[in-house]
Amino acid sequence: MIANLRVVLTTFELDVKQQAVDLFMIFGVVIQPLLIAIMAIYMLLERDPSRGIYVVVGSGMTGLWTSLLFRGTFNINAERFMGTLEGIVASPSSLATVVMGKTLASVTLSFLSMIFSYGLASIVFRFPLTIAQPLPFFVSLLVTIPAFISFGLLISPLMAVNLSLSGWVNALEYPMYILGGFLFPILLLPDWSNPLSYVLAPYWAARVLHATSSGSATLSDILLSWGMMLVLSGIYMAASYRLFRIVLHRARVEATLSMM
Amino acid sequence: MKSLSNSMRIFLGGAVLSYKALFRWFRLEPYIATKIIAPLNQILFFTLLGSFATGRDTASFYAIGNAIQLTAMSGIYGVTMSIGGERNEGTLIYLFGSPANRLLTFLGRALVHILDGMIGVVIGLTWTGLLLGVDFSRADLPALGLTILIATVSTSGLGLLMGCVSLVTVNVMFINNTIYFLLLVFSGANVPLANFPTWVQHAAYALPLTRGIQAARLVISGSSLGEVAPLLTGEALIGVVYVLIGYVLFSWFEVTAKRRGTLEAY
Repeated sequence: MIANLRVVLTTFELDVKQQAVDLFMIFGVVIQPLLIAIMAIYMLLERDPSRGIYVVVGSGMTGLWTSLLFRGTFNINAERFMGTLEGIVASPSSLATVVMGKTLASVTLSFLSMIFSYGLASIVFRFPLTIAQPLPFFVSLLVTIPAFISFGLLISPLMAVNLSLSGWVNALEYPMYILGGFLFPILLLPDWSNPLSYVLAPYWAARVLHATSSGSATLSDILLSWGMMLVLSGIYMAASYRLFRIVLHRARVEATLSMM
Repeated sequence: MKSLSNSMRIFLGGAVLSYKALFRWFRLEPYIATKIIAPLNQILFFTLLGSFATGRDTASFYAIGNAIQLTAMSGIYGVTMSIGGERNEGTLIYLFGSPANRLLTFLGRALVHILDGMIGVVIGLTWTGLLLGVDFSRADLPALGLTILIATVSTSGLGLLMGCVSLVTVNVMFINNTIYFLLLVFSGANVPLANFPTWVQHAAYALPLTRGIQAARLVISGSSLGEVAPLLTGEALIGVVYVLIGYVLFSWFEVTAKRRGTLEAY
């Protein structure tokens, strides 16, 4: 347990250092969410300036997802391209533990999106921003972390097992913005799409963060969102466990790790 | 005559080869994901966001704006990578060592991407008609075609300029991503220009696509080619200015790199 924790923390530290100077990540976590926030400010706040905090949370969520999607896709594949995957798989530490540390780094850095968006809206555009229910909001942020990490742990082996899926990565960015209700409610979407939103932890994260920041959250709403995030995290982890077994099987039994 | 045909061969051959070099690794599935599904997702997201902000009646404003803006996918990413790829693949040294006409070589890098970009816009507009109820019944289709062509050429002009930048930096994707999103914000695709401060509006008119998107909206709503001609002329001129700046930089980088022996050094 302690050994695994040390691996997670070491990987986390290394990956934070790498991502902090990676211009692709800087774009995904800082520039793109800020530009989306600028657009949303001019689109949404023209009519209703009280939506400032909604824009901050929503654009921050886009940064979280973009970072998770792209880093998740390349967490394992990047090691493969650099020729370090075999070394990691052969080491006594599990591949999943290493990927968990890398995903934790992405999620942690991605919260910068929300902080930068907050700064943009409050300092540059001078919108009054208040978090109406601060305690539930910050607890919701904490619950969001394992939900996103488990989602990232699902994405990484999925993309490693099926390399052609990584070609779809650009097409997967906006659907989560839409189905997750990051910047508009999913009520705008057709009813048939709602079940898709319900099985996505980012949807529940956006829902509870929007509700607690704007002050519209009831206790039952909050508990429902937290509960769904935890349940979905468990499901993602179970699916991820199966996928990591497939990756390891290909590495150790079929010896096709570099050829997948 | 022989010189002219040789120039055309270099122009067309270079155009096709640079496109193939960029996309030959693609299989059909990722190509569909990148060129058909991803654009649809962008159109849907911003149209829904716009509808949420200003009401469902305004959906066509966002749908058309984003469909035209899609040309930046080929015009910025494609064209830039066609030029930057010469350096990444180690072929720049041969290109600059050849006696081929530099202007034709330079412009040829954009040709197939212009066609590809136009197809992308047509696909985008088709999505808007099929899924978002954009009405094309009053549109002058030849005028719309000309608008798409001019907007695409103009955007590719900026792409050629960015391609030159890619010869002196390793961070070209960061620059491309930023340019693509700046166009999304400031070209009027999603935010009416009148909403921005005056100085931002002036800057927006120095970008490609700004007038092209306006013209496309007008043509689709029933305006004639004559009515949008000033916008299209402005859009074309912006494109020419970017191409000229790009070509001057391209030539300057070649001379400087050869003189300093830094052709492959970033």
